[in-house]
Amino acid sequence: MSTERPSDLIKHLGQTSIPSLENISDFSLNVTDCTQVVVPEEVFFTVAAAGILENLLILIAVVKNKNLHLPMYFFICSLAISDMLGSLYKTLENIFIILCKMGYLKRHGDFEKKLDDAMDSMFILSLLGSIFSLLAIAADRYITIFYALRYHNIMTLRRALAILAIIWAFCAGSSVAIALFSYEAATVIPFTILFPLMMFFILCLYVHMFLLARSHAKKIASLPSSTVHHRTNMKGAITLTIFLGVFLCCWAPFVLHILLARFCPHNPYCACYMSIFHVNGTLIMCNAIINPMIFAFRSPELRSTFKKMFYCSRSNCSW
Amino acid sequence: MSALRLVSNRTSQQALSNSDYTWDYEYYEYGPVSFEGLKAHKYSIVIGFWVGLAVFVIFMFFVLTLLTKTGAPHQDNAELSEKRFRMNSFVADFGRSLESERVFSHQMVEESQSLFHFCINEVDHMNKEKESQKGPSLESNTHFQEVPKSSGTFEEDLHCLTKFNIPNFVNTEQNSSLGEDDLLISEPPIIL
Repeated sequence: MSTERPSDLIKHLGQTSIPSLENISDFSLNVTDCTQVVVPEEVFFTVAAAGILENLLILIAVVKNKNLHLPMYFFICSLAISDMLGSLYKTLENIFIILCKMGYLKRHGDFEKKLDDAMDSMFILSLLGSIFSLLAIAADRYITIFYALRYHNIMTLRRALAILAIIWAFCAGSSVAIALFSYEAATVIPFTILFPLMMFFILCLYVHMFLLARSHAKKIASLPSSTVHHRTNMKGAITLTIFLGVFLCCWAPFVLHILLARFCPHNPYCACYMSIFHVNGTLIMCNAIINPMIFAFRSPELRSTFKKMFYCSRSNCSW
Repeated sequence: MSALRLVSNRTSQQALSNSDYTWDYEYYEYGPVSFEGLKAHKYSIVIGFWVGLAVFVIFMFFVLTLLTKTGAPHQDNAELSEKRFRMNSFVADFGRSLESERVFSHQMVEESQSLFHFCINEVDHMNKEKESQKGPSLESNTHFQEVPKSSGTFEEDLHCLTKFNIPNFVNTEQNSSLGEDDLLISEPPIIL
């Protein structure tokens, strides 16, 4: 068993379902050890289910309403899909742990290992898909503002779909490659460099747009400095901070975890940070719940589509 | 995660050559990690990370609010009035196109109104001040006035400019004498 690589499933099984066995070892452990912080399964399932439902609703709304067949909404859909994949990963993992607990699945089977590998690659796909979808949304808004009249020629539906296909093909290939070659040091470093790089690029795009919106507001104002505009731009600053702050707060803990696991697994400080792994995973699922609120639900058209969906389901009105 | 398990696999194989069972149930082997003699608190990385993240987000927010307070440096009066005139004429064309073309559904018009209120209401103030606009443009502007005025947000600015790209508007505007620069600010935004 020492030569065999235990699957991730077994480790999760060990530490979520059999907590009493966690400290069994031949070594005497210090009482001040950082034990794994365990998030209850109910919380996991609730958060994951909420994320999946919300994003599914957005997908259905965009598919149903013909007015929403625009590049902007397709990019929002892509973000919804990647959020759904992340939540789905957590749900499936928990289900399999429960099945293992009940004894329906073998612990060391080949099938379980392959399943575990597939689920890992699904999670990486979700992370990469999220990052690239946010980038696509930011680029789309940038083109909307700076090339307003030519936007319709630059960003046609076909091009938007082509861009999405390229993004998802790249993410799928990278996730499979990362899952297969995860033992190499080389995979962790580009993965963790990609994250701040994308964040910085998205920040630059939004700051540039924000500056233009601010100067635009000032120019069409009758008064040079009215309180209305101050409030307007304050709201713009708040919106932008929320966009980037939420993404950072939800994904950065996990990325730091990967870095620490690679470079200092034996350091006690690093080990204490890594003990809150499940909290970091829950944060990623919370991101799946918050993202629709700050991207999709801000569109009045989408909101009215939701209202129609809910009211029409009761009264059977025509779509 | 496979990255994590294989890293821990290797290190544990080096360190625990004889024990077979312990790390099967543990996510990370705590054996080689000794927690004695720590100088700082054991959760110092966790606390430091979250404090650093909060400081960064607040810093970003203050930088953005400072950007709102510094004014645009090249704001000539002549240029401003010229921009106002162009916005007025654009609004006039926009209003006429809305009135004349029955292609748009009522919902679309209402939505456009709600999205454009930030742009249009400001221009409407200028219209009333200048007392120079008469005819269909005023009607369309008063029509827009029915939309409750609220302060525009960054998001509404984005939606506002997105809605400029409805095909009929784009064709109408390209037929007029307005160029792209008249709708966007021709001077580059301030880059700090």
